[in-house]
Amino acid sequence: MDAVPPVSWRLRTGLTSGLQTSWKLIKYVIPLYVAVDLLKGTPVIELLGRWFAPMMALFGLPGEAALAFVAAFLLNLYAALAIMAPLDLTPWQITQCGLMMGIAHNLLVEGAVLGSTGTRGGLLTLSRLAIAAGAGLILHLLHRLGGG
Amino acid sequence: MEPLLAALIGALKLSGKLLLIIVPLVTVFELLRYLPVFRRAGRAIDPLMRPLGLTREAAVPLFTGIFLGIAYGAGIIIRVAQEKNLPRRQLFLMGLFLATCHAVVEDTLIFVVIGGNGWVMLGMRLLIACGLTALLAWWWRRSPQV
Repeated sequence: MDAVPPVSWRLRTGLTSGLQTSWKLIKYVIPLYVAVDLLKGTPVIELLGRWFAPMMALFGLPGEAALAFVAAFLLNLYAALAIMAPLDLTPWQITQCGLMMGIAHNLLVEGAVLGSTGTRGGLLTLSRLAIAAGAGLILHLLHRLGGG
Repeated sequence: MEPLLAALIGALKLSGKLLLIIVPLVTVFELLRYLPVFRRAGRAIDPLMRPLGLTREAAVPLFTGIFLGIAYGAGIIIRVAQEKNLPRRQLFLMGLFLATCHAVVEDTLIFVVIGGNGWVMLGMRLLIACGLTALLAWWWRRSPQV
């Protein structure tokens, strides 16, 4: 561990990184939230939702949530969050999405990064998808056993 | 025009909420993370790394990845891996752990903002990461070739 930086420096670092995170989110939130909120009442989302409903039901999620998963896998959690926000999910469903997406997101970029450390990035990326699915099934089961 | 306005207001409200929650929390985290308590916690965790098949050398890249994320942690991970000459298996174990469980503060926080349960998300991810890494480490210990 290195020396402890002064409080003023830590304060500044904290504020900057907090603002950076918020900005990264807001960049996705404004356009995607507006788009999904507007599409919500149209057949587009309804059709997509019905298409994915059987698969998402395995995890206790509505079909529309699939859109957020695509965004999480290919882009990042910020984009996924922006799509989820207008979808009227229950707190439990948000937790479920957070758990599964927390495990598997930004797969293209992070797969490359993991690979560059000298380990097998492709294998790890596949494992992440499998682990996310497994975790989702377990949480869904626990939720059902808990009477939800 | 009205639906567009409503959507815009919704998006702005969410953005404001994100700012109000994330900035103070990240600042507090940054202020507190150098406290001696956390260093002692770091040392206390040391014996827990053995069942995961990881040695002391892997601690810094592992914790960087857990808290900061793979993208930020990559620089440190690559450097430490080369300097300390971590064996391939240990590198894969660390990768497996981090693939499941990284940037946990920020990732969890953003879902908490829109109503998720942070403890469930965090707890499940940690449990799964530890469980799978320990399982693979145990499996490899039984078959020491390659």
